Amino acid sequence: MPTNNMTRLDPNSQAASRGLSDLSIRNLFIIPTIAFLIIFNIFPLLYSLGYSFTDFRASTNAPAKFVGLQNYRDLLNDPFIWKNFSITAKYVLISVTGQVVVGFGLAMLLNRTIPAKGLITTLLLLPMMLSMAVVGLFWKLLYDPNFGIINYFLGLGKFEWLADPDMALWAIAIVDIWMWSPFVMLLSLAGLSAVPKHLYEAAEIDRAGNIYTFFRITLPLVAPILMIAIIFRTMEAFKTFDLAYVLSSQPTTELIAIRLYKMAFQEWQTGMSSAFAYIVLIMVVAITNIYVKYLNKVKAR
Amino acid sequence: MAQIDMRNVQKFFGANQVLKDLDLTIEDGEFVVMLGQSGGGKTTALRAIAGLETVTSGQILIDGVEMQDKKAADRDIAFVFQSFSLYPHMTVRENISFPLRAVRMGSADREKAVNEVAEVLQITEHLDNKPSALSGGDMQRVAIGRALVRRPKALLMDEPLGVLDAKLREQMRAEIKRLHIARGSTSVYVTHDQVEAMSLADRIVILHDGVLQQVGAPEEVYLHPTNAFVAKFVGSPVMNIHEAQFSGVNGHSSVHIGGAGTGFHFPEQLINHVRNTGQAVSLGVRPEAVLLSHEPQEGYFPAQTSNIEPLGSHDIVDVLVGETVLRARTESGYIAREGQQVFVNIDPAQAHFFDGATGLNLRGAN
Repeated sequence: MPTNNMTRLDPNSQAASRGLSDLSIRNLFIIPTIAFLIIFNIFPLLYSLGYSFTDFRASTNAPAKFVGLQNYRDLLNDPFIWKNFSITAKYVLISVTGQVVVGFGLAMLLNRTIPAKGLITTLLLLPMMLSMAVVGLFWKLLYDPNFGIINYFLGLGKFEWLADPDMALWAIAIVDIWMWSPFVMLLSLAGLSAVPKHLYEAAEIDRAGNIYTFFRITLPLVAPILMIAIIFRTMEAFKTFDLAYVLSSQPTTELIAIRLYKMAFQEWQTGMSSAFAYIVLIMVVAITNIYVKYLNKVKAR
Repeated sequence: MAQIDMRNVQKFFGANQVLKDLDLTIEDGEFVVMLGQSGGGKTTALRAIAGLETVTSGQILIDGVEMQDKKAADRDIAFVFQSFSLYPHMTVRENISFPLRAVRMGSADREKAVNEVAEVLQITEHLDNKPSALSGGDMQRVAIGRALVRRPKALLMDEPLGVLDAKLREQMRAEIKRLHIARGSTSVYVTHDQVEAMSLADRIVILHDGVLQQVGAPEEVYLHPTNAFVAKFVGSPVMNIHEAQFSGVNGHSSVHIGGAGTGFHFPEQLINHVRNTGQAVSLGVRPEAVLLSHEPQEGYFPAQTSNIEPLGSHDIVDVLVGETVLRARTESGYIAREGQQVFVNIDPAQAHFFDGATGLNLRGAN
């Protein structure tokens, strides 16, 4: 890095009087971060990559045996793993779509002058400030077939939300939507309020109706920031663990994160689960890349 | 093409009244410029015509139909914003065709209309660019193109040249005038620049503090301002307005300004109506009506010059009269240096008297 591009240290400053050069101050800030990243991110990443080619089990003292690509071959040929993937895909689709619809809708409602707007916004943000496990536990109470308030209000009698194999995934997605719609709302609100008012006036003069204005002006201009919200939520939904784990243990709600957890820490197939984790990582990176490509396209115009 | 009527229009923002008893008729095909300081109510009046602003009371009629409660979209009026308000995510072609697409016009007709407008405005080569790639002048051409493409009843422009640089402004001014003559559309144009107003308008409407001050052709507003505000606002350099005293009788009447011992001779009939009112009166005289001479002449009295502004085609010279300064317009180089002595007079025929309290132009019987 060319150091001559850096801001020079004021020769009269306290730091300079202590004998610190620009370079040493730069190192002071950067080295701890680099060290942290190497110890906690890069090292485990590479170490698990090594494990993914072995039959290592962390529960025994048996030495790891190199098996090549056998783990990957087994995993990708396992129909149950593919089942986990399709459950996860369905969950991501339901959950993210729900969050975008609800969150963007709330943002549209809030993007006007209404009384107590600040208070309403703050209250709406509360769900995403709670802990995942806590949210899971109390929604379990809300969903309870015997005394749950949801069945009471919807008049569904003893409908078993979480025990019903078809409904359980939807029930988890609903909780996720409840919890994370405010996040999409917050970003959408920022995007909406950045659309200049005079563009709406221009559209009105140009005789565009409300729906036409929404799809031709509002949505395209909010799209980049909405895209960022979608990227974040997709990545999060893809790796959902705690919410689903706390709420339900149906085979129909076994997301890849849960399968991975079971494989790694209940069945102790450390090598196999490392390979699994790598497959998931590659998928998340690939999906994110598609979004980022699209985001750049949207931003370019 | 349409006639626009504003009848007794009032507009309040909270307790603040920004339009007071506004009555105005804009004829079919006319180019009307609303002129005034910022905060004078001219933009509010324009937005009220467009339907972007509601009025508190009064009527706005377009072609005789009451429009004050209709939405902007139902008024069939085009509006050019000061900030252009181009849609940043659309190409120039999409921007111009937006008003046509919004009402579901067929693509063949649309294409034809867009190309025609682009040709008139000389922006054909930019049709596939985004607005962000254009210069300020071209952005404004696109904004005007978007306004004209659907042949609206009237074209409203809110300081459309406000953000352009001086040279481009002059060029675009000429283009707007050319377009108006070619299309004959009823146009209402808001500006604070009196040069723009004078050069574009069929009639100028001067607004100050929400009150209509004067409506008239440019030369009428310039030569016969109804009050001191209009007199000062129209014309550059600004009209000299100074408190006046009167002396003498019987054909030797003089008007004194700035406490000077010697006054300017005025014929009786020009000042009889103002000299004996007992009220404070101000004398207003434009720089071109201040006469300078190197030689002593009948009616001229000696004075010192101070500041000289050489403007190329002419000079503006400050002349000290008593304790005040009269700005005079002379041919360039007439006064060689500051401090030089000259003989000064004013042309009584071009002088105005304003009521010191109300600012109203006190017109004589003539």
